[in-house]
Amino acid sequence: MLKVENLVTSYGMIEALKGVTLEVPQGKITALLGPNGAGKTTLMFTITGILKAKSGSIRFKGLELVGMPSAKIVQQGVVLVPENRLVFPKMNVLDNLRAGAYVHIGRDKAGVEADIKKMFERFPNLKERSKQLAGTFSGGEQQMLAIARALMARPQIFLMDEPSLGLAPLIVEEIFKIVKELNEDGITIFLVEQNAHKALKVAHQFYLLEQGQVTFKGIPGEMEEDEIIRRAYLGSSQGH
Amino acid sequence: MDDYLVTVLSNIGMISFIALSCYLLFLIGEISFGQQAFFAISAYTSGMATAMWGWPLWIGLLWGGGIAAIAAALLGVMTFRLHSMYFSIATLAFAEMIRLWFVIITYQIEIEGEMVGPDGAEGFRGIRWVFENNVTPLQYMGIIWGILIAVLIFFLLLERSRLGSIFRMLGEDGLLTEMQGLNVVRYRILASTFAGFIAGLGGGLYAHFATYVEPQIFNVMLGVHGMAYGLIGGLGTALGPLIGVTLDIGFLESVRAIQGYRMIVFGGLVAILIIFMPRGILDEERVNRICLFWRRRFHAQD
Amino acid sequence: MVDFIQNCIDGVMFGSSYALLAIGFTLIFGVMRRLNLSYGPSIMLGAFLGTYFYVQWDTGILTVAAVTIAGTILAGVYVERLCFRAIRQKATLASMVSSFVIWMQLEEFSIILLPERTYPFPALGSAYIFEIGPFFLRSEHLFMFLMASFLVIVFHFMLYRTRFGLMVRAISENPEAAKFIGIHINAVMFWAFVFVSAVGGVTGYLILSTDQQITPLFGLWATFKGLVAMMLGGMGSLPGAILGGLLLGVVEAQSLWYLGNDYKDLCAYFLLFLVLVLRPGGLLGKGLVEREDLAFRRV
Repeated sequence: MLKVENLVTSYGMIEALKGVTLEVPQGKITALLGPNGAGKTTLMFTITGILKAKSGSIRFKGLELVGMPSAKIVQQGVVLVPENRLVFPKMNVLDNLRAGAYVHIGRDKAGVEADIKKMFERFPNLKERSKQLAGTFSGGEQQMLAIARALMARPQIFLMDEPSLGLAPLIVEEIFKIVKELNEDGITIFLVEQNAHKALKVAHQFYLLEQGQVTFKGIPGEMEEDEIIRRAYLGSSQGH
Repeated sequence: MDDYLVTVLSNIGMISFIALSCYLLFLIGEISFGQQAFFAISAYTSGMATAMWGWPLWIGLLWGGGIAAIAAALLGVMTFRLHSMYFSIATLAFAEMIRLWFVIITYQIEIEGEMVGPDGAEGFRGIRWVFENNVTPLQYMGIIWGILIAVLIFFLLLERSRLGSIFRMLGEDGLLTEMQGLNVVRYRILASTFAGFIAGLGGGLYAHFATYVEPQIFNVMLGVHGMAYGLIGGLGTALGPLIGVTLDIGFLESVRAIQGYRMIVFGGLVAILIIFMPRGILDEERVNRICLFWRRRFHAQD
Repeated sequence: MVDFIQNCIDGVMFGSSYALLAIGFTLIFGVMRRLNLSYGPSIMLGAFLGTYFYVQWDTGILTVAAVTIAGTILAGVYVERLCFRAIRQKATLASMVSSFVIWMQLEEFSIILLPERTYPFPALGSAYIFEIGPFFLRSEHLFMFLMASFLVIVFHFMLYRTRFGLMVRAISENPEAAKFIGIHINAVMFWAFVFVSAVGGVTGYLILSTDQQITPLFGLWATFKGLVAMMLGGMGSLPGAILGGLLLGVVEAQSLWYLGNDYKDLCAYFLLFLVLVLRPGGLLGKGLVEREDLAFRRV
């Protein structure tokens, strides 16, 4: 569904992505692992058009995304849940959810309300706090809201940048459960994760990104998990 | 109603237009030091329309507002990638350019033996539509407030609309808004245009109220005051700027004891308020709480 | 051609004082990431105090200068406490607005002190006009230029050769890290303000003694000049401030000569607007937030 070929992104003097090639097949969960600074977030931002690629190609169902304005990319159904910006803090849950929907069904109020209802069924703890300002939520709740909001945009491919970052183990469990459920409902997922262990539990395939390049592609279970995790956290230069 | 009260209320009304204009830009997260430019543009152009071309007041006001809106749209287009301080200084520079332009420009025509029209630094005299048509001060105050209320209704509708939410999203986090698939530039320009039109309405009304305008009036201080009113009254609702205006013009202006010290008091008040209530008295959280309170009250009665 | 060069000379002479004002803005911006819009008015207040001494008690020029500098420092400390120290680190715009509003305060205070429209300001000495070929050079302009250059060197020395300057630069680059290595941010900011105010006071004195008069419009004027010069050269860049100041001076001198007084300020603002729209970082600047920084910033 998503084909990235030789993608190069640089900012200032730094070449963050040095020719990334990978593929995210439809209907599956693909994980992107790698140590800090490898360029995982940069890749996510480049795919969604927040950062401009220097060269290379990103094809989504055949459509070339490089050069497309980021708003248009989202309109194609490529939606990102970023790692460092989760919610609109001074808006309540309802407004945050509607914010996600504005791209497609802005004028279709009934459709939006129906989607919100479905979202509340899936995330019941959001329903109880529907009028609360999102800025008052805990980290886990904000992450849930961010995921729900991104879902309101009716994604065809769902990019998630470190959804479990900084969250308590119980919430992390919940989040990965949701990731699995979403995929079972048919949504393609591209998941960046530091928590390699958990990611490998749900992913159908994974890539390892180190220093701006893909260094490994694999299927969980085919290889010793320890080895993968070591490289995911430390990079191949340090482990063996 | 005595004359003094009518004047004060009229002033509050007219200045509110600038305050609301700045408020709209606050919503999208930008501080403008330049809304007085649109106040000025409309004051001059609507004055030209009624005093030089003989148009009726309504059309003159719409004309002035329209020209101001177009100028604002142009400014929005040119500043689309500027944020925070850079945007603020750019608006400041723009407003000063406009003001200095009016100091230079002279365009007069002869009407019944007299020269009428903008005369550079001397200003633009004889915007006498109000007097020639026997509109009393009280009636004019009614006109000002009538239009102001229409603008407030616009804001009320905006708050509940998709567009209003998008403006607020822009104000909170422009990049996150872009990630929702929304064209940030388009909405910025739209906000600029609306803000320019609103300030323009105020400018046109002012020109006909005072019958005389000069470039000096439209200086930075006017714009800064307009901006400060929103910060005082609160950025959570369109009533906030109005509260700010009333506090300054209605209250501070009237209290004789502080006549010569108004700036000091006003400045000190705003500075202290910014420390403790950075988004004004009626900020978003307070407004949210008030709304929740009323809603609970309603449901409790069922 | 002669006129053009003469204007360049005049422009550079006067531009040197703009450069000083711009440096004041730049330093505060560099250390605090905020714009101090009260800089001009605080200088004006100092100058008004100096004028008060001059007008009331006919004191000598050194006393007037000293009072001016002291007054500016006092006003600067007031602004620092109220607008910068009291406001949270992140609320940079709030500080800017606050400083704009305090400007109003300082201006009114000045007017209360000396209510007339204009007052004489003591000159530094009798004027003398040098002639170098076809060009003229006024002694007071030359003096201003030399003093300004001297002060720029002082600034440079302070920033790059003293421990204090090192701390200032450290805070400019990375306030968080500076805190971690034990730099007392508040104390450094305070003294930076004092230093900048002192230089501001000297600058104001130089400008006003050349002009030989002072009006309540000086505060606004000084702020605008310094701001425009700083933004031309690029926020946060010291060489940029200097370049911006000189450029502004030259542009003003040229437009004054060729287009007349009415167009002088218009051209300056137009240039500023142009630079902001086309190259927001300024001619030498690096203060502009790049998209990448924005994207990766933790919210």
